[in-house]
Amino acid sequence: MPGIVDVSQLVKTYGDGTKAVKGITFTVNEGEFFGFLGPNGAGKSTTIKILTTLLQKTSGSASVAGLNVESDAAKIRKIIGVQNQDTVVDEDLTGRENLVLQGQLQQMHGPAIKERVDELLKIVDLTDAADKRAGFYSGGMKKRLDLATTLVHNPKILFLDEPTTGLDPQSRAAIWAYLKRLNEQGITIFITTQYLEEVDRLCRRLAIVDLGEIVAQGTPGDLKQEIGADSISLGFENSSMNGGDVRTKARQVLEKKFDGVSNIVDSDIGLTVYAKNGSYMVPELVRAFDDAHIRLSSIGVSSPTLDDVFLKHTGKRIRVEEVSSANSRGMFGRRRR
Amino acid sequence: MSFFSDAFHLFVRSMKKLVRNPILVFFSLFQPIIFLLLFTQLFSNLGRFISGGTLTYTAFATAGIVLQNAFSSAFQSGTAVVDDIKSGFLAKMLATPVNRSAILFGRLLSDVFRVVAQTVIILVLAFALGVYPATGIIGYLLVIFTVAFFGLAWSGISLALGLKTKSAETVFGIAGAVTFPLLFMSTALVSLGFMPGWMQNVSNFNPISFAVNAIRNPITGCNLDLTVCNIGFDWGTILQAFGVIAGIGIVTLGATLYLFRKVVS
Ligand SMILES: Nc1ncnc2c1ncn2[C@@H]1O[C@H](COP(=O)(O)OP(=O)(O)OP(=O)(O)O)[C@@H](O)[C@H]1O
Ligand SMILES: [Mg+2]
Repeated sequence: MPGIVDVSQLVKTYGDGTKAVKGITFTVNEGEFFGFLGPNGAGKSTTIKILTTLLQKTSGSASVAGLNVESDAAKIRKIIGVQNQDTVVDEDLTGRENLVLQGQLQQMHGPAIKERVDELLKIVDLTDAADKRAGFYSGGMKKRLDLATTLVHNPKILFLDEPTTGLDPQSRAAIWAYLKRLNEQGITIFITTQYLEEVDRLCRRLAIVDLGEIVAQGTPGDLKQEIGADSISLGFENSSMNGGDVRTKARQVLEKKFDGVSNIVDSDIGLTVYAKNGSYMVPELVRAFDDAHIRLSSIGVSSPTLDDVFLKHTGKRIRVEEVSSANSRGMFGRRRR
Repeated sequence: MSFFSDAFHLFVRSMKKLVRNPILVFFSLFQPIIFLLLFTQLFSNLGRFISGGTLTYTAFATAGIVLQNAFSSAFQSGTAVVDDIKSGFLAKMLATPVNRSAILFGRLLSDVFRVVAQTVIILVLAFALGVYPATGIIGYLLVIFTVAFFGLAWSGISLALGLKTKSAETVFGIAGAVTFPLLFMSTALVSLGFMPGWMQNVSNFNPISFAVNAIRNPITGCNLDLTVCNIGFDWGTILQAFGVIAGIGIVTLGATLYLFRKVVS
């Protein structure tokens, strides 16, 4: 069965020669919450623009709900909701007017628009500010309004390009909770984001792109499992003891007695050890160090996270811009339009 | 038909934006009004030379000022489009099933509406200053029609510039640079006979002169060289101007349409 989003050998080379997407292939199934991750410049937004009919591909094929992104663009636009990476609301219009206009452009009619707009205002918690100009909204309110405008026409598929970047933690949590509910109602969600914890919790499947190519895809669980090892972090009581560095001595112990260890790295407090089924090793580790007169101050085991997955496949840690100035542009920071 | 309803909704959006940013209206009306109130007083003695004394300078200059207003307000059109491109609003619209041409048409509609509204303000002010329409209400409707037509064609220049350069500064810069040379080397503020010979030659090819002459005749009731002043409509002058404006419009709006298609696809 073909997916609701089907991309095959998709290539995009921009006019200036930049190869933004270099032949990617992936499928999103109907009803899925799909994460599309990658470092800066990986080609995420470029891919979204092609899927949402805003940009022409160079080669390959892409379809949304079985419709070709080029020949059936008009039909696709009726069933998708698109949120840009940059927040886009008309700051001279009120929140309500923004939503109504969106409904009109989606070819909806008066009474249906009104009803839907009231409902959405409530959902994104903007009822009180509905008749204020969006230019006076805080960054978080604008983002929520922007999200609401993508939903006016009850789209089947949502394409969201970093919908929570720059938001404070509460707004972020609220939006993710709302996306979860939408997904439960059957809407397919295609999302790019830097928030891996949320991806881990909510996305059923994800793909990681780097430099225009897909470097990994699968369920969060599978991808983490692929890493293969838990990390055990060991803290030592005194880092230098007679007869050499405690780290060196501990390494010797580990290398001699533990076959399951795949990697050992120095850490601030001692060592980090990678091994399969890390928690089962803990009792033996404690005993072995005791015998060798190495005194542990702490020991902790953690299973791999998507951060580790991301690092493994892209060689980079995902950037997380901390809550930016998005909220500080209040009454006085209104941009001229 | 989604074309008309889409264009209408986007027209309403533009008008709301305009009304909520009155400073923009103020800027484009400010200069014409200063001209109408002060410039015409400064040069009031000119009236004697221009038409042998039958016309006041204010009555003469009203046509030029009406055109100046159309000129400057139409020139702001392109900056609004640049704003929509830069802010991502255009992309947001393009991700919906909105009729593509309606985006452009709604824009032009609001430009025309705005030029007409500002023209009415200026004509009312001129009326208060004693400029009575020689050809009555029909004449004024013709003036408004001509101005709207001119505004449409002139918006095309601004829109094409905006779509091509995607820079509001460039649009403003070019508008600022061409306004006065074009206006001063035309029959907008002085009659042809008043200019030095070389400038008369420029003025004769200046599209602004054609448009101004067609607006002046219904207001003053004079013939082209202002020697006779009760001739009613001078259809020769008016139709010639329509021809010139249509020519400009085809080129500027054609370019706009072409560039818009490129941005949209
Ligand atoms: N209009 C354009 N013209 C030329 N190059 C472009 C254009 N848009 C994007 N690029 C380039 O294409 C590459 C991919 O960009 P894209 O915006 O798709 O990345 P991204 O994965 O969304 O990154 P980010 O996380 O920063 O949003 C980058 O190298 C970028 O510089
Ligand atoms: Mg991006």
